[in-house]
Amino acid sequence: MNMIPDFKSIATKSPWIYRINAGSCNGCDVEMATTALIPRYDIERLGCQYCGSPRHADIVLISGPLTTKVMDAAMVVFNEIPDPKVTVAVGVCPISGGIFRESYSVKAPIDQYFPVDVNVPGCPPRPQAIIEGVAKAIEIWRERM
Amino acid sequence: MSTQLGILLAVFLFPGGLFALVLGLSLKGLDRRVAARLQGRIGPPLAQPFFDLVKLSFKRTMVPATASQPVFLGAPLAGVVSMLVAVALVPVSGLYSPDPMLGNLIVLLYLLMVPAIVLMIAGSASTSPYGALGFSREMTLMLAYEAPIVLAVLAVALRTGMGQGGVITFSLVDIIAYQRSHGMFLLDPVMWPALAAFALFFPANLGIIPFDIPEAETEVLEGPLLEYSGPALGLFKVMSALKAVVVLSLGIALFMPLPFDGIWGLIGWLVQLAVLMEIGVTIVRLSMGRMRIDQAFSFFVKWPLLLAVASVVTVTVVA
Ligand code: SF4
Repeated sequence: MNMIPDFKSIATKSPWIYRINAGSCNGCDVEMATTALIPRYDIERLGCQYCGSPRHADIVLISGPLTTKVMDAAMVVFNEIPDPKVTVAVGVCPISGGIFRESYSVKAPIDQYFPVDVNVPGCPPRPQAIIEGVAKAIEIWRERM
Repeated sequence: MSTQLGILLAVFLFPGGLFALVLGLSLKGLDRRVAARLQGRIGPPLAQPFFDLVKLSFKRTMVPATASQPVFLGAPLAGVVSMLVAVALVPVSGLYSPDPMLGNLIVLLYLLMVPAIVLMIAGSASTSPYGALGFSREMTLMLAYEAPIVLAVLAVALRTGMGQGGVITFSLVDIIAYQRSHGMFLLDPVMWPALAAFALFFPANLGIIPFDIPEAETEVLEGPLLEYSGPALGLFKVMSALKAVVVLSLGIALFMPLPFDGIWGLIGWLVQLAVLMEIGVTIVRLSMGRMRIDQAFSFFVKWPLLLAVASVVTVTVVA
C-alpha cells in the first residue's frame, strides 16, 4: 500500500515560512516580504504562508551575518521550530559576512552554528532567487519527512 | 435507541463531523483562492487547507516546559467537540432538522462562545506573554459582540413566536418553518436591523480582519496559538473551519432559509454558504485594516448593540 508516501507528498504542499533576522541590514528582509506580499511574486501558490510563530514553521529563512548580540536569541528561536525543518540562508551575509565580513561583532559564516540547507546568495538576492531557494528547500523537506 | 443513533450520525457524519469538516475546509480554501484572485495573484490550490492539516499531522507537538500539559492539550479538543455538536444543532432548510433532544437556539448560543473561551484557556495555559495578551483581547472582544448577537437572535425568535401566535420560540426548526411559509426574514424590512447586527457579529466571531485582534500575527504573534504546533494546532484549524460552517449556516437558518427540499435544498444551501463566505469574509478582510481593540470594543457597544436593540423594539412594536 502506497498510502504513506502519498500523504507525505501532500504534506510538502504546505510549507510555512518563518523569518529570523540575525543582524541583517534589512535589505534581505524587505526582499523576503516583497517575495510573499506583492502580487507579482505570489509565493502563496506554492502553498507557503508566513507565520508569526516559530512553532508553526517548516522552512526558516535566516538573513544577516549573525551578530554577537543576536546570536543567543537566534539560537533559542531556531530551536523552537519543530522538526522536520529546513533552513535557508538568504543573502550573502550568512555565507561570508558580506559587507560586514571581518567585523569584530560578526559570527559569519553562520553554518558553523545553524544547519544551513540552502544558500541564496545576493546582496540582496532577487525575489526569484528567494523563491527558487524556497522551492529547493521544499524538496529537501520532502526527503526529511 | 434510534434517536441516539440519529444524534450520533448528525454529530459525526452529516451535517456535523466529516461533512462539516470537508465543507469548512473547502470554504476556507475558496476564501484564500478568491482573495488571491482579487489581489491579482494566482493563489494557493483550493485544497490548500487540507494540505495544511495533513502537514500539521506530521509535525511534532511541543508543550512549553512551564505550561500545564492537560489543559494545554485539552483545550483544542474541547473546542472541536463543542463545534461538532454545534454543527449538528443547526437545521438545514428542507434537508435536516436536529433532534429536539440535542438542544435549541440557546444551547447553540452557548456553544458558539466555547471557541473563544477555548482560545482564552489555551492562551493562558501556554504561559506565554503573547498568549496572555491574546487572552485579554479575546475576552474584551467577546464581551463586546456577545450582547448584540443575543439580542439579534432574540429579535428573530420574537418575530417567529409572535407570528405563530405565541410569545417567543427558541426552536430553529420552527423559525425555518415560519420563514418557509411567510417568506424569508431577509426580505422583511422589520428584520433588517437584526440582520445588520448579525452581519457585524459575523467577522468578529470568526476572527477575521478587521476583528482578528486576538490572533493578530504582526502584533501579538498569533496570540493564544503562538505556542501550539503540529496536531494540536491542526485541531484549532479544524475548530475554526467548523465554526465557519456553524456561524454561516446559523445566519442562513435565521434569515434566509431556501424553500427547496432534497437535492436542490442541498445545492442551494452550499451556494448560499459559498456566497456568504465571499461577501462576509473575503471581501471584508481584503478591504479593511485591523482595528485596535479599543476601537473594536467601542464600535461594538455602539452600532451593533444599537441595531440589535432597535430590532427587538421594532419587532415587539410591529407585532
Ligand atoms: S546580504 Fe546584503 S542586503 Fe542582505 S542583509 Fe546582508 S548586507 Fe543586507
